Amino acid sequence: MLAGAGLLAALLTGCASASEPDVAKVATAFEDPSGDAQARCDLLAPATLATFQSDSSAPCADALGDVQLPGGEVSSVEIWGGDAQVRLGSDTLFLTRTDTGWKVTAAGCQSRGQEPYDCEVDGP
Amino acid sequence: MTTVKEPGYGFVRNNALSLAFGALFLITLVGQAISGVADFNAQQVTDGLPQVGFLDYVTSSSFAVDVMENWQSEYLQFLLYILATVWLVQKGSSESKDPGDEGPESDKEQRIGRHAPVDSPAWARIGGWRTAVFSRSLGLLMGVLFLLTWAASAIAGWAAFNSQQLGQRQDPVTFVGYLGQADFWNRSFQNWQSEMLAVGSMAIFAVYLRQRGSPESKPVGVAHADTGQTG
Repeated sequence: MLAGAGLLAALLTGCASASEPDVAKVATAFEDPSGDAQARCDLLAPATLATFQSDSSAPCADALGDVQLPGGEVSSVEIWGGDAQVRLGSDTLFLTRTDTGWKVTAAGCQSRGQEPYDCEVDGP
Repeated sequence: MTTVKEPGYGFVRNNALSLAFGALFLITLVGQAISGVADFNAQQVTDGLPQVGFLDYVTSSSFAVDVMENWQSEYLQFLLYILATVWLVQKGSSESKDPGDEGPESDKEQRIGRHAPVDSPAWARIGGWRTAVFSRSLGLLMGVLFLLTWAASAIAGWAAFNSQQLGQRQDPVTFVGYLGQADFWNRSFQNWQSEMLAVGSMAIFAVYLRQRGSPESKPVGVAHADTGQTG
């Protein structure tokens, strides 16, 4: 019984931990202020990119510089299924797994306790 | 001793009931997987997220919890029914013993130990702890399967819940934290209540209604008050 439960837990968490470096790399690259703006925009999930450009009324690469993204060191990565959360410096990012790798669905997020995070960049 | 009416029956006809339900189980599980991935992807499109493939879906926590939460309730149903029918009767029901027969019954009635006939299973004849275990093996297996599938349901449910939390820009919770979440208990209770309804309904319906030829029913002409007969 416990072996079965343990196997399921190992399967779920083992698959997740193997993706941690990829998730951390995407989050770090997106928050790197010295990175190429277009390359950083390419790390956004399509729905988030569309919403961000619509809300900003400008192409992503132009609007990204106006957003407060403090960057910093990755302090924790949580991966559950096709979703991930990265704590980076004082910021929190959310990512999703796509056919072309992990993409940022929300960034510049601040905790509001039990409420959903308040994010500078977010999807619909 | 059971009288074999059809000694010429091969493996398939002798095991037709188990094989038929085994096949139906696999067909309906595939049906759940196909409809499940379609439903999951419809939600992904609504959320502006990429769709997932069939293999990714059937290995996901979302599919695992949907399967396990149903399995655990089925095994709980059989566990409770097996144990409850030792001590509780329903007068007139083919699902029940006769009133007055409540309890584990005597060794003679159960044909164990020195009362065991020659074709009894070895552990029914041998006495001691092995006969004690074998005497409860059906309930024990159902109990173990219930705990195993409920644990699997909790773990898969935890993973699915945390994935959903992240999708909603909320923090994931610990396993112990998940066990205190409404999601876990709602999944459990909504399955349990339907199982209790099903067995309770069957116990009482079997008093007044018949299904000709089914051992789950009394013979058609047997009185409503007659308990424990199967036809």
